[in-house]
Amino acid sequence: MSEVIVITSGKGGVGKTTTTANLGMGLAMRGKNVVLVDTDTGLRNLDLLLGLENRIMYDLIDVTQGRVPYKKALVRHKKVENLFLLPTSQVKDKSAVNPEELVKLCEELRKEFDYILIDCPAGIEQGFQTAIAAADVAIVVTMPEISAVRDADKIIGELGRADKENIKLIVNRIRPQMVESGDMLDMDDINDILSIDCIGQVPDDKMVITSTNRGEPCITMDKSTAGQAYRNIVGRLLGEKVPFMTFPKEGFFSRLKHVFGM
Amino acid sequence: MSDEIVRIKGTKSGLQLLFAAGATYAAIEKEIRAKLRAGSGFFCRGTVMHAMEGSLSKDEMEKLKRLFHESGVIFSVTRSRIPGATEWPVERPRRKSARAQKRPAEAAVQAEAAVPAENAPAEPAAVQASSADDEAVQMVVVNKTLRGGQEVRTKSSVLVCGNVNPGAQIIAGGSIDIRGTCRGLVHAGAFGNQKAFVVADHLIPTQIRIADLIARSPDDPQQIEKTARPERASIKDGQIVIEPIER
Ligand SMILES: Nc1ncnc2c1ncn2[C@@H]1O[C@H](COP(=O)(O)OP(=O)(O)O)[C@@H](O)[C@H]1O
Ligand SMILES: [Mg+2]
Repeated sequence: MSEVIVITSGKGGVGKTTTTANLGMGLAMRGKNVVLVDTDTGLRNLDLLLGLENRIMYDLIDVTQGRVPYKKALVRHKKVENLFLLPTSQVKDKSAVNPEELVKLCEELRKEFDYILIDCPAGIEQGFQTAIAAADVAIVVTMPEISAVRDADKIIGELGRADKENIKLIVNRIRPQMVESGDMLDMDDINDILSIDCIGQVPDDKMVITSTNRGEPCITMDKSTAGQAYRNIVGRLLGEKVPFMTFPKEGFFSRLKHVFGM
Repeated sequence: MSDEIVRIKGTKSGLQLLFAAGATYAAIEKEIRAKLRAGSGFFCRGTVMHAMEGSLSKDEMEKLKRLFHESGVIFSVTRSRIPGATEWPVERPRRKSARAQKRPAEAAVQAEAAVPAENAPAEPAAVQASSADDEAVQMVVVNKTLRGGQEVRTKSSVLVCGNVNPGAQIIAGGSIDIRGTCRGLVHAGAFGNQKAFVVADHLIPTQIRIADLIARSPDDPQQIEKTARPERASIKDGQIVIEPIER
């Protein structure tokens, strides 16, 4: 049974693309056939994070408009051979694909792949509606700050309106020191407001940026704390019970324990 | 009210206490005690009360401090009056809805019964405003959390089995009962019913409106209580007051 997962957030810059690249890479490294579909048309950068920019021949718009079969547009990852990218266009805009076209494409992709991950554009306009149309699961990415959490809340409401019931939360860029000093929302507050199943807490990690520049998601790096968090999330997506990771600061972790009943 | 001795003004950093010129300390204390009793709900929330340095003697300030502390209010003596003070916690909105109260037929015209599409209950074609005494007969039940950007607007009462999140709002002709945490905007008795109330398991809304009165949350989020206990907001003596309830 294949699964279509949309990675969305409302607010831009919270880590949707980073999350898509890492989870895709992680699932592929665990032996799954994975395709990543970039629907952030006009602002594509999933290819950059995977180091595949120079291999793009065709894009999503070419496929949905029937110029080429999807297989021609897929870009295979250099190292992980069961990971593919379906890139989008850098020059078209988000109205170039409509929900029906993406649903139809995903039906075809389901025949070949175990996981279809869709990187969603920011906002709640047409691009968002298109990106979520085919999804079985929605992963909402947020950051521990008020505006990001409010946008996530709005997105969860929109997902509900579109009858998407299976919604998971990832809180990205957690900085334990800032939470401790009360300068960031803590997990209590976030869970209290959003009240959806949290499947991951990703720390803020400089190696995310280093890895972006190298075109290799941080999940491949043993020493990256964000990479470890993403490996845990991949395990949870595969149905494993993975405990939430400890952060260097005691106080923060005891809070997490409190929230997740660990 | 020109014969008022003590006035409380709302500011960004808390409340400002002002005294009428020439008032005796005894009179001031008496009036503050009365105010604390009337507005206990609001004052309990760790509100900061500023008083101007020099407006009373040091000893008298000490006494006031103790008095406020008993009610959980943080008392602070500041050097100058905080500019831009507006009335708080209760202020009159621009629109006078007193008229609507007297003429229910007209109120009914204003009342739109728009509810989020996915849980739109079959609104009875005509909720007869004339038959509605003070109590709203109908009730809209929302069986989910109202998230940012969502709105429930109805002539009747509302029961929410879930939270009301920041950015969500409920505008009800009757009362509002939230079986969860209220962080959004709630307006009970929106068409003039002064007896309407708001109840929630945890009441920390951005704004509470009842009939034509408005109360807003403290500007400093640190002042908002974390511990949840059911509370009820209603109008008492022309003010919105919040008090704990059992349920
Ligand atoms: N956990 C993290 N630690 C440090 N930087 C991060 C982390 N997650 C994302 N970033 C950085 O934040 C920026 C935005 O991330 P991106 O995934 O492009 O967001 P989105 O796709 O939601 O717009 C990028 O520069 C990325 O490197
Ligand atoms: Mg992106």
